[in-house]
This record gives sequence, C-alpha cells and structure tokens, in this order.
Amino acid sequence: MKRRNFLKTSLVAGAALSLNFDGLQAALSSNSMAVEAVPDLVAVMGGEPVAMLDKALETLGGIGNYVKKGQKVVIKPNIGWDRSPELAGNTNPELIKALVKKCMDAGASKVTVFDNTCDNWQKCYQSSGIADAVKSAGGLIVPGNDEKYFKEVSLPKGIKLKSTKIHEALIEADVWFNVPILKNHGGAKLSCAMKNYMGIVWDRRFFHSNDLQQCIADICTWEKKPVLNIVDAYRMMHQNGPQGKSAADVATIKSLLASPNIVEIDTAALGLFNQVKRLDMAAVGHIGKGQELKLGTTDLAKINIKRIKI
Amino acid sequence: MKKQTHYLKGLRVLLAILFFIPILLYFVDFASKLPNELHALLHLQIVSAILEGAIGVIIFQFFLVLLFGRIYCSVICPAGVLQDAINRLFCIGKKKRKGTMRFAYKKPLNIFRYTLLAITVLLALFGITELIVWSDPYSNFGRIAANLFRPAVIGGNNILAGWLMSFDNYTLYHVALKSVMLSGVVAGFIILITFVVMVVFRGRFFCNTLCPAGTLLSLVSRYSFFRISFNKSVCNSCGNCERTCKAEAIDSKNMNVDTSRCVDCFNCTSSCTKGGLAYRFNPFYKKEAETAPHPSRANHLAPDVNSRRTFLATSATVAATLPVVSALAEKADNGEAPTGEDWEPVTPPGAISLERFKDKCTGCHICVVKCPTQILKPAGLEYGFGYLLRPHVSYKTNYCNYECTVCGDVCPSQAIKSLSVEEKKTIQVGIATFIMERCIVYTEGTDCGACSEHCPTQAVHMTPYKGTLTIPKVESELCIGCGGCQSICPVNPHRAIIIKANNVHQIAELPPEEDVKEFVIDDFGF
Repeated sequence: MKRRNFLKTSLVAGAALSLNFDGLQAALSSNSMAVEAVPDLVAVMGGEPVAMLDKALETLGGIGNYVKKGQKVVIKPNIGWDRSPELAGNTNPELIKALVKKCMDAGASKVTVFDNTCDNWQKCYQSSGIADAVKSAGGLIVPGNDEKYFKEVSLPKGIKLKSTKIHEALIEADVWFNVPILKNHGGAKLSCAMKNYMGIVWDRRFFHSNDLQQCIADICTWEKKPVLNIVDAYRMMHQNGPQGKSAADVATIKSLLASPNIVEIDTAALGLFNQVKRLDMAAVGHIGKGQELKLGTTDLAKINIKRIKI
Repeated sequence: MKKQTHYLKGLRVLLAILFFIPILLYFVDFASKLPNELHALLHLQIVSAILEGAIGVIIFQFFLVLLFGRIYCSVICPAGVLQDAINRLFCIGKKKRKGTMRFAYKKPLNIFRYTLLAITVLLALFGITELIVWSDPYSNFGRIAANLFRPAVIGGNNILAGWLMSFDNYTLYHVALKSVMLSGVVAGFIILITFVVMVVFRGRFFCNTLCPAGTLLSLVSRYSFFRISFNKSVCNSCGNCERTCKAEAIDSKNMNVDTSRCVDCFNCTSSCTKGGLAYRFNPFYKKEAETAPHPSRANHLAPDVNSRRTFLATSATVAATLPVVSALAEKADNGEAPTGEDWEPVTPPGAISLERFKDKCTGCHICVVKCPTQILKPAGLEYGFGYLLRPHVSYKTNYCNYECTVCGDVCPSQAIKSLSVEEKKTIQVGIATFIMERCIVYTEGTDCGACSEHCPTQAVHMTPYKGTLTIPKVESELCIGCGGCQSICPVNPHRAIIIKANNVHQIAELPPEEDVKEFVIDDFGF
C-alpha cells in the first residue's frame, strides 16, 4: 500500500509537470513500467489458476482494459456437469472467483455468472464449487435452466444456425468473458472456447441435428463477442469427455490461455491438448469453420503470442 | 368435566396440524427445501406400512387404536385431516344447524364396508391392487397434493420469481412443470370432489365405508380402552353431540356411541354443556349391558335422503369425468420403439421388477414430487389399466441423475426400495437400444455424439465411423438405463437411442477402473 500511495503521490506531482500523462497512467495501471504492445494471445504455464490469471491479465494490460466502471459484466464458465473440481468437468472455481473479484474491483455494477447445464442445474452449480465461489466474490449466480430466461437473437452470418435463443443476462450485458475448461469431447471432439457457447443457448438439440460443427461456428458469429476468452487448462480431461468418469481422465497440466480471438485461442488450445493426446485439427471441424466465417486465423504464426512459464 | 373435554378437542386439532402441515408442505415442496427425513411421517401411514411390511409401525398403530381409538384418522392420516379442513371451510359463515351441527346418526354400513375390505385384501393377495390404489386415503391425499396443490404453488412461485428477478433477486427461480400429467390431475380432482361432496353431505362417510385403513382400524377401535361414552345420569338427550358427529356415530336417543366409527375428533364432548358424554377409560369388558345398541330405532325412520343425494352427486362426478379418461391414453414414451414393438414402462431404480412394483405402489406420487429431474410421471392408460397412476420413468426431457436415490428414500411402501448411491449406480432398469438408421451421424454424415456425452458410465461411447466421424456404440453390460442418451438425442420425432425396460432389474457392471496417470508437459504445443 505504501508503495502504491507513494506512486500515486508521485503521479499527482508528476502529472503537473509531465507532458506524457496518458502513457504514465497506462504504465501504472498495468503495474509495469515497460510499455509493450499488447499480445494477441497469452499462454501461461506452471502456476496455480489464480496466479496464472493474474499473469495473463497483467500481460494484457490489466482488467481495466476490458471492464469499465458501472458496466454489467457476464462471466460464462462451463458448469455443465455434477462434478467436483478435481474431475475437470467444469471450469475451475478458484479461477472464476478471482475473475469475478477483479471485475468487481474494476467497478463493474454487477457480475453475473450462469450456464445452461446438462445435469441438474442446482447440483452442477453446487458440486462445481462455482456457486459458492461467485457468491463469496460478490457476484450473482443466476439460473439458466428454463426457456423463460432465453431471448431470440438472429445470426445473419450463420450458415446452418440463423437464429437462436440466448440467455438474457448476456443480451443485457455490456461486456462478457468466455471462460471454458479445455476438454476432450465425444461429439465435437474438443470442448473449449467455441464449444462453450453452447451453454449460452437454449436449444442445443438443434445443434446436434443440424451439423454440430457448423452450428458451433455459427453461434460464435453472434455480434456481441466476449471481450476476452480465458481457457482453464489447469486440469484437462483428455478422454471420456465432456463428462468424464474418474480422475484417470484428467491430466493436470497447469496452463491457462487468454485471447480476445476465439479461433486463435481454440487453435492454441488444440496444440496444448496434443501435448497429452493426439487430436487432428480436421476432426475438430468447428475451428476451421470458424476461420471460414472470418472469426480468426488458425495460423498461429501470424499472430503475436506471449508465452510465460511460472 | 367440560374443561377436560374442550382441552381434548384443542389437543386433537393441534396434533392434526402438527402432522398435516409438514406432510402437505413436503408434497408441495418442489425445490426440496425441507429436510428429506420428513418422509418418516409417510412411513406411518397404515396402508403403506402394511405393503412395506413394516411390522413395528403396524403394531404401534394397532396399539394406539386399541388404547385410544381411531386418533389415527383425525391426526396421522392427511386425507382425514384434509376432510376436516374441508368441513371447517364449509362451515364458515353458516348457521350451526346448516354447518357444524348438521349431522345425524346413521347406521353403519357394516356389510358393505367389511365386504369391501375383504375384497380389497383378497384381490391384493392375488396381485390386483387397483382397489388399494384408489381407496388408500394417504395416496389419494398425495394425488391431490402432488397434482393439484403443487402446480398451484409452483405457479405462484413462478410469478413471484419473475417479479423478484426484475430486482436481480434470484432466491426463487422459475420452475417448469414437467411431471404433472392429465391422469394425475384427473385422479386428484375426482377424489377432491368426492371428499367435498361426502364431507358436505355425510361427514366422514369416506372414512367409515370406503377407506380400507378406516375399516381395518374400526375392527380394533370397537374394543379401544379409552372411548367416548355417555354419562347417563347427566345427559338430557338434547342431541347436540349427535349433530356435531362427522362420523354419524352418536345415537343420542339411545345414548350410544359407535366406537368403530368414532375418529376421536372430540367435537361431541366440546359441544356438550352438561358433561353428558366424556372420553375416558372404559374398556369393552366392563361394558354395561344397557349401553348396547337398541335393536330397533323408532326415532330414525325418516328416509335416508342424504345418502341418496350423495350417491347421485358421486355418480354425476364420475360420469362427468369419463370423457377425460379416454384422453388419458396419451402416447407412451416408447411410442418411439421400433415399429411393431410394444415396450413396457421403465420402472425407477429400486422397483426390482415390474410385477413387484405394481403390487406395492399405491400411486401416492411423492416420488413424482421429489424427483429432481421430473422424469417420474404418473401413467395414464398408455401401459394399460393395471399401471394407471403408477409412476413410470420418462426420458423425454431429462434423465435419472447418476448420484440420486431420492425416489427410493421417500417411498413409504418401499415399492421403490431405498438404495445406497453405490448400489444405485449398478442397478440396470433398462438398456439403451441404438437404432443406427435413425442416427444423425448415419443419416446426415455430421458429428453428433450427444448420447455419449451424457452417458455417465460410457456404456454409450463413440467409435470410428467414416473419416473423422464417430458413431455411438452401446456396451449393454455397462448400461444402467439412466436415459441420458435418450433424453438428449436430437433425432425427431423418433429418437435414435431409447431405453428398453428390464421387466426385472439387472445388475450392470461398474465401468472399468483406470489408473491415474501423471502427465508432465513442458511445451505449449504451439
């Protein structure tokens, strides 16, 4: 505190003299004196979930780059299954708790968390540890179990999916964060940021019966994109996904990715997944279809990636 | 004397409330906010206890009746208390002669009631339990509460939840009603109307003629040690007690109380200003000869208008609801079965077999209320008359939670046997049947895998098909029939994977255990 106070005082003093006020403030808010270009994607490895989130956000210029005072924020984790955090079926609750807190500290008017779960929603919210995590951080966890909460939106860029019902919390939000957990998936082959969109819609059966891979890409064309995708790969379900049977399905690889671009982050996540299990890009059809819909590139050589090991 | 008797009625009302309110709330508690242990109150119900074979409860109830008379009917039985509540509501704003004091002594319909009981028992012994299902008072109450009261409470909740939501308050949440079926609503409605009509015209007529529990207990209560009887020296035969007797069991002219029908409500004792009758230790063996009922009763020769009216009203109610019955033959879930096949209902885990379940289930619908995914639904006529009102497992919208055992925990007759979570995970209620010709992967050539995604044991797993496509395959020995696959299968109108019931439940293999491997990675891979 003392140092921060000192810096603030210095800033006030300096501001009177400085000709470069904006730059100095940016440098301070990112808590780093060296001002670099913000990377397109940050990958962190080797730390605990919260430490990796801190590192990633710091590299991206701080939460203030994404959340402004008074904004309504939605965080969309994967809470699909009645599973404890150790079984890696749902996004890590510590990560969600830290992110809710950061948003609140950044001045968000409210931070809402929900998922349209697969198992009974109350059990999922409870077993995942996410309901408690959100409440303790001052956020609001809301149900996504009833069609009543979902509103029709059109998807003009979609190929198979032209319109769908999306949770009203997201429709009303100013900004949202897409926070999936990286998993193997029986149908989509890989469950990550793009697949996590299936929890914001009401009618998932339509996806399955109308070319699942295309529909996943289509839903990602919704005009309100997440300000940031944060992939939890602290524990990763490498087989029997998305539900998993036991701890034998889980690899603890202590990683986290963050990027505003959904195709790029899923491409990177696939690379990470391949460190444990072989999975071809061709099989995960939705990533390539996302590129075709101009949502981003699967050629990671074209983007600026910051890799950090803790 | 007067003071003591007032206190008795108050005590009866208090005890009735203490039993009734928790049971009622338990039935409408759609969010399972009340402790699950409240099901203990249901295990006290006598018909359930007999079907369960709960010797302790049965002995306790018989002793209670032998000592104190049919307190059971005024306190423990929710249908009895419900009828008292209906009576109370009916009396509001009415003059005594039309309200609380509208009853008159009637002869017991002994031949009818004991024959009915005998037929009910005999049929049940031969595996035909329909009469029990329709006449068990607790189950009838359950059907009223589950199918009429609960939807009303949920409707109120939804309105309130919508309003609170506008203030960002999510304490309440919207609940979709999936387990309220026409059959249950009709059954609940018929019995509620029957109760109202009978209570209005004949008080506890149901309890003293149709109810198997009441008739059974009446056999014992004739000999109860504590009973209501006249103080002949004090009584001036004003007839107030007779007019307050819902059981129509007091013959004030002859100063006689038919204890086989008396439900110990103590309305009579508190109506008597003289202390002309009292509840006291008066065992049958001390019975004075002169208190025996008079063979002929000149004072009650007036034609029995009320019972004819009751009969007409009941018949009219039944006739009016007949057309609805035809609508009950809703299409069974297994209308999805391959053409030409007629599949049996899936019974809940713990039912052990279809036959056993049909024998023991009285259709009280507490499991329907408590099922967190609302997959237990009362059957109409889709599985025939013999399965009417019994719950079956429907996988149309949801599936059986892998870790959930609540239906067996709450079932008062243990038609659904209580299981541990570990046991439940191996009980195979049916087997997933995959019909490839209907599958998206086969017909459209696109990825799906929704079934495998929802399979908790990976009995349904994806195997290589064409190119990068994978298609489901079922390992039937691992399948427990939870219906995860069927509920999510996107194929319309007939799903590509459906649960075929095991008429006798089997034991599934546990999924093979794998060792936890350590993965160390050092590179991001991109």
